Order: sequence, then C-alpha cells, then structure tokens
Amino acid sequence: MNKKLWTLLALLLAFMLVLGACNNEGDDSPKDNEGTEQGSEDGEEDGEDGGEAVDTSQFPLTVENEGDAMDGGTLKVALVNDSPFQGIFSLVLYEDAYDADIMQFASNAIFATDGDFLLTDEGIASLEVDQDNNKATVKIREGVKWSDGEPLKVEDLMQPYLIIGHKDYTGVRYDADFQNIVGAVEYHDGKADTISGLKKVDETTLEISFKKLSPAIFSGGDGLWSSAEPSHILKDIPVAGLLESDAVRKNIVTLGAFKFDKIVPGESVQFVKNENYWKGAPKLDAVLVKTVPSTSISVALQTGEYHMTANTFSTDKYLEIKDFDNLTILGRKELYYQYIGFKLGKYDMEKSEVVMDPNAKMGDVKLRQAMGYAIDVEQVSEVYYNNLRERATSLIPPVFASFYDDTLEGYSYDVDKANALLDEAGYKDVDGDGLRENKDGKPLEIKFATMSGGDIAEDIASFYLQNWKDVGLNVTLATGRTIEFNSFYDKVQADDPEIDIFMAAWGTGTNPSPSGLYSKTAQYNFSRYTSEKLEELLAAIDSPDAFDPEFRAGKFREWQEYMSENAPIIPTQYRLELRPVNKAVKNYDIDYSSNFDWNEVSLISEDPAKSSK
Amino acid sequence: MWKTIIRRVLVMIPQLFVLSLLIFIMAKFMPGDPFTGMITPDTDPARIEELRQEAGFYDPWYQQYFNWIMNAANGDFGKSYTYKVAVADLIGDRALNTLWLSLLSVFLLYLIAIPLGVLAGRYQNSFLDKIVVLYSFISYAIPVFVLALIFLFFFGYKLQWFPTSGTVDIKYDSGTIGYLWSKIYHILLPAITFALLGTTGVIQYLRTEVIDAKSMDYVRTARSKGIPINKVYTKHIFRNSLLPIAAFLGFTITGLLGGSIFIETIFGYPGMGQLFIQSISGRDYSVITALVMLFGFTTLLGSLLSDIIMSIVDPRIRID
Repeated sequence: MNKKLWTLLALLLAFMLVLGACNNEGDDSPKDNEGTEQGSEDGEEDGEDGGEAVDTSQFPLTVENEGDAMDGGTLKVALVNDSPFQGIFSLVLYEDAYDADIMQFASNAIFATDGDFLLTDEGIASLEVDQDNNKATVKIREGVKWSDGEPLKVEDLMQPYLIIGHKDYTGVRYDADFQNIVGAVEYHDGKADTISGLKKVDETTLEISFKKLSPAIFSGGDGLWSSAEPSHILKDIPVAGLLESDAVRKNIVTLGAFKFDKIVPGESVQFVKNENYWKGAPKLDAVLVKTVPSTSISVALQTGEYHMTANTFSTDKYLEIKDFDNLTILGRKELYYQYIGFKLGKYDMEKSEVVMDPNAKMGDVKLRQAMGYAIDVEQVSEVYYNNLRERATSLIPPVFASFYDDTLEGYSYDVDKANALLDEAGYKDVDGDGLRENKDGKPLEIKFATMSGGDIAEDIASFYLQNWKDVGLNVTLATGRTIEFNSFYDKVQADDPEIDIFMAAWGTGTNPSPSGLYSKTAQYNFSRYTSEKLEELLAAIDSPDAFDPEFRAGKFREWQEYMSENAPIIPTQYRLELRPVNKAVKNYDIDYSSNFDWNEVSLISEDPAKSSK
Repeated sequence: MWKTIIRRVLVMIPQLFVLSLLIFIMAKFMPGDPFTGMITPDTDPARIEELRQEAGFYDPWYQQYFNWIMNAANGDFGKSYTYKVAVADLIGDRALNTLWLSLLSVFLLYLIAIPLGVLAGRYQNSFLDKIVVLYSFISYAIPVFVLALIFLFFFGYKLQWFPTSGTVDIKYDSGTIGYLWSKIYHILLPAITFALLGTTGVIQYLRTEVIDAKSMDYVRTARSKGIPINKVYTKHIFRNSLLPIAAFLGFTITGLLGGSIFIETIFGYPGMGQLFIQSISGRDYSVITALVMLFGFTTLLGSLLSDIIMSIVDPRIRID
C-alpha cells in the first residue's frame, strides 16, 4: 500500500511542478474561426503588450540564407488554421482560402503574372487579345504534362468553362463576368451542349469569343479562366457529383511543381515532386503540409517543427516570434484596405441601382472630410497593430504599382483642419454642450457600425469615437455595441437606417478594376454613392481606349483622386502580411513581381533550425 | 421493465419533433446565411442571390422545414454548405474521432479518479487524503484550455514526447498496425489533459460515499463477522459507493459524442465540438440542425440508459 501511495504522490508532485514551471503560457484562449475573407477587424486577439514599438522599417521579400543546399529533403509547412481544411482541391470548385494555400504547391494555373498581376507570357499558356473582334487566343506551351504523364491539351483549358457554366454547378463563379463569354448562358440554360464561344483552333490553341472586352482581361477578368482541369479524368464525372469525387478530394491530377501523394482529410497533405514538371523537376523531394492551430503556431516555429507557414502569419502574433533567431520574417503589403464608409443613399433592388438620398445625414462632403481628418489612424496602427498596418491613402492598394496613385495624401490626422471644415460647413455648437449641432441647429448624432472580434475591435471603436468627439461630433455605436460579422453585413447591405457610417474592409482580388465595388449598379457599393463623373471614370477605366496602359493608369489615378476628394468612403489602413521562414530554407521569396516557383526552393538541412531564445 | 423502455423510446419521438422545430426556426433567425461569408469584390451579388434562391432560403419557413423533415425522416440530412459533403458523412467522420478520444479520456478519468476517491475516503484526514483533496480542488479550478496549452507546449513541443496536432501521422496507411498506434498516440495527450481535469466530481462523490459507508451498519456487520478490512472495502463499500457515479454513467456514455471545443481546437483534433461551433458561425444550417438533433437524441438516450443502469446496479430501484 505504501508503495502505491508514494507513486501517487510522485505523480501529483510532478503534475504540480509542471504547473509551476510554465505559468507564463496559456494566456490566450482559443477563438473560433472567423475565417471569412473580408471580416474587417480580423477578429483576433492582440498582443497584450501592444504598446511596444516595433521597427518595421523593412521586412525582406526574399530569404537569403547561407549554407549549401542539400539534395532533396522534405519541406515541412504549417497551415495555420483553427479548424480542419475543407479539402476541395480544384481551382474551379474550391471556396475556402485554406484550400488554395495548400494547392499552391501543385497549382493548375496556366498564366504567370507580373507585379501588377497582369498576365505574362512566361507561364504554361500565353494570351493574345484581338480587341476589334472581341476575341482572345490562348496558346499552350509544347511538352507540358499532367502529373500522371498525360500531355496538356486544349480540352483541358476548356474543361473549367464547361464545369462552371454547367447547370449543376453550385459555386459563385458562374457570374456576370462568366456570362460575358459567348454561348455561356445558353449552355447554362441547357439550350446548348457546349459553349459556342470556345473554339479549338488546333492542338495547342484555344480561341474564346466574348460579348465585350475590356482591359480587365489582362488581369484575368472579363470571363477568361486562368487554370486548367484534367479533362481526361473529369470529363466522365457528372458535374453534380464532382465536389464529392475522388478526382478533387483524393487522387488529384495537377500541373504544378509537386503532386498530391497522400491526404489525411482536414489535417495534412503530403506532396511529392512532379518529375514531369515543365520547368524541370523540383529540388525538394517532398512537401508536407500540416494544420497547426493558431494557439501553438509560434511555439511550433520556435522549436523548429516547421520550415514555414503556407498562409499568412497573423500580425497579432508578431511580437511572439520577432526574437526567434531561427527565422527570417518576410513581409509584403496585402491586397487589402480597411475603410470607413458613409451611407449616402439606398440600393433599389427593383431597378438594381444605387439611389442617392439628397438629404442624407452624411451628405455634406465637408462633414465626411472632417471625419477623415479627425481620426488618428497612425496612432491606431502603432498602438494596436505594432505598426504592421499603415494609414491608407487610396482605394487601390499600393501593391498595384502602376495603378496606385502615390501622390495622394489621403486623410492624415489634422484636428484644426477638421474643425475648420465643420465650421465652414455650418455644423456649429449652438447650445454650448461641446457637441456640434447640425446645420439647422438640431442635435446631430452619427451612428457608427463596426464589427466585433477580440478586444481591440472595441478599443479601436472607442478610440475613433473619442477622436470625433474631440472635434465636437457626437458619434455613437450603432446598436450600442460592436456587431457580429454576419449581422454587420446584413445591416450594411440592407441599408439599415440605424447605420450612418461603418467601418469595413475589402480584400481586393488581383483585378484592380473598381466598377464591381463603386459603380451605380454594384450592390457592393455599400456607401450608395454615385455621380455622373464617377460613372464616367469607371467606364473609362474599362473602356476600349484603356487598352492603352498609360491611358488606363491615368484614369485610375483620376478615379482615386476623385474618390479621395468626395470621400464617400475613406480608406483607413493597409495591412502587411508576414511569412516567417526557417533559416534552413533557400531560394524562397514572396515578391509578387518575381517569378517565384516552388521547384527552385531547396533546404540547407532536413530539420528546421531551432531558436536559441 | 421492457414496457417502460419502449414507452420511453416512444415518448422521445414527440420530444425530438419539438426540438427539431425549435432548432430549425432558431437557426433561421440568426442573421446572415451560409453565403454571407462569400462577399468579396470578386463574387457577383446576383449569383449569390441565385444560389440563395436555389437553396430555397426564400421559401416560407414551414415549407423549408417540411422539406427538411421529410428528407431527414429518410435519413438524408442534406449537404454541408461549408464542406460540400453529405452531413451524415461529415458527422460520421468527426463522431468517430471524438468517440475514440472520449473513450480513452473517460477510461483514464476513472482509472485516476476511482482509486484516488476510494483511498482518500478510506484514509480520511490522512496526508494522502489532503493531497487528493488539494489535487481535486486545483484540477477543478484550472480551465481546460490553460492546462491543454501548457501540456502541449511542454510535452509536445519542448520534450517532443507527443505529436502536436492532428489525429494520425500521414506516413502510415490506414489499416496497418502503425496507423492504429499513431491514432492512439495522437489522442494520448489530449485524453490525459481531459482526464486529469475531469476527475473532481468522481473523486468527491466516491470519497464522501466511502466516508459515509464506513459507519454504516452493514459494514459493522461485515467486520464483526470477521471479514478482513481490505475485503470489506473492495467488496462491500466500493460497490455501494459507486451508486451515484453509476447514476451518471448513461449521460457519460452518450456524452462521449459531444466533444470538447477547447481540447479539439488546441490539439488541432477534428471533432464534434469544433464542428458544432464552426457550423454555427458559418451558418451551416444543415449541419447545425443535424448536430442538435443528434445531441438531443443522445441526451434523451442518456437519461434512459442511466435509469436502466441504476436498476441493474441497485435492485431497490425500479423503473416504471
């Protein structure tokens, strides 16, 4: 009995020791996955020591690690995700960004892009556009093979169109752009067996006819599809059953540097090198991608469990990893901007167009401008985001170097200017309570909607409310609190009268054309602002004249200046995206303008380095 | 007794029906729907409307409910909007994961708690008793995610004794011994975490019961008959003290399917708890309703099981 007793005691003591030893851990509780692309306040917890200043002068885009590369090896990649991945491995069918993060190693993309995300001739296929006849010709390179050894055919380029256009297809990609292809609607409605606008010219050339063409086609827009699907496998699978078929879930045939080898659904994916890769077989033997919960990713990187992350490393956790000496932290600007929008009208569902309200509370441009000048975005970036965000100046993220207007100042913090503008516009404090009344001398209350998520969403909202109070504006939270993501978009989309202004964000795609977000007919034009000049600029950006890059860039700048001046929405922040990479990795970069490909990556050692800190 | 069981099962049908009606309506009351999260500049709002139409979200709720219940009656719970697979398959996979983890957890829990509880009761006020009581207070006070993170950090990453995420190592093929071992290896650390923190109830009940039983007449009788003290504890007191624990056994068994959101999230273990929370935040209606129905059913079943177990363990109790 005594012996048993002692064993028990020892166990208990050990247990208590463990508790004592690591009581500095475990202060952040797990959160549920917000997972949606454009949730504004990404719903994550901040570093509690947020005040610490960080020198973010420059995060490199490329790893430059010394040491001789070994032969082969397995790259261990962490997919930071708090829930299992969905595992739909087809560029045509997937919906979850995590699936795309996994697919990057075996990509089926056929076009390469430059720094502005315009298609180049360096990929598997090249594009030629016949502007006069509304036709585009896609030509595939000789000798490109699928991972199962089958040669890439024109039919493989047509396959994605036949899937998306099919009546049984249930995704979002059958959209207005897609219907721009001649014959797509007829095919979708079952009136035709195939899409008449797709024509196989010869074994390597596909000709596509469009109803109209704009320069967006060079960004992969207008309905052009930029990946291939293995028709020799998919053509026999009915579209209705495709999502659940092994062809996209288990035995996936691809074109990229690596090919799928094994999949544990929701957890991990093992890739092996694709000997048939058209750019030459990769240097690595294999890539192992494994889901890692966000609560433990920092420790996983510290202890050398993984070489890198497959997706963005949350900037909230930057302070946790910044001192680890086994990592190089790469950073680039994201295709993202956060903004404050002013409700200026309603969306007329019947007519499908924006109707502005001439008496809108936020109708005075000086009021909007003043609210822009009144907020100290820089301080929010510094205090809450460790400077991993910066004040936005334009509605085009600076990543699009040729379209972004770098001369714009945007709305920098300037209380005097805000006050002056409000005085000028006639918003005066009549009753002497320190708050301005509206032009008629009646109390002015502006209701501000913002999304919930973590502690900082609340803090930032109160900070901005205080900023506005400092210039005498009585701004309160719509509904009295921060709003859950789903309700927020429900309300904003429905033009809820409870909302005067709102803070949201767009993760922009690679096609910079703004008409989908700001045109008169766009439902996503949430501020419901429109004008003749705006319509004219938007049309010009996608007009036939705009096939001249200089003309288009000029119109882009004009549009940005116009939006900045009229301030129907004011961009607040751009965001930086981080990628920690272990010192054992060579030849990796995240520069959009480089032609990085996974076949070049190599390892210095099979095991990732451990941090000494 | 059989009559009672059948009656109880029959009563479940209207209960489940009401539950299904409630959960269906409440799910629809939530703002947003599975397509809300798809708003990006690249998606066409007109297409999203079309998908909503096709999914029948604009039909009156009773019509939606009728369609759903008819399909459900035929065993078809629809497709997950998020995962694009049949709800039954999705839940099946997760339920299996959760079941394995819970079984081991509960096994370890009783393995730790029963001896501790009995010993603490038998040697009341001894040093051992005080340690056990202290342990059960500490374990009751520690939130599960704190200990889970500590264990993961210490045993998973620092000492590398245990795998840090997932249910199985990708290098093993399903069906092999290595695969099975890898599965067990992956649930070991989460199960230990769970078991260590779940013991309080069992320890305290057992300890109190044992202390009470010590002064009972039947114990004195047994002792006076000359039965050795050890035997009195193992044969007489132990059995009687287990009664309150047996009362919860039915719930424990059916609760195995519930899963733990914290354990699953921290250890990256795809299970039922996580699926439930995720389906709610993603407005994955078909999964939400199916899961609530399943949980409702298991709870009803649990209470029935508990009653049956009680009547077996304690012949004085009759269920009618």
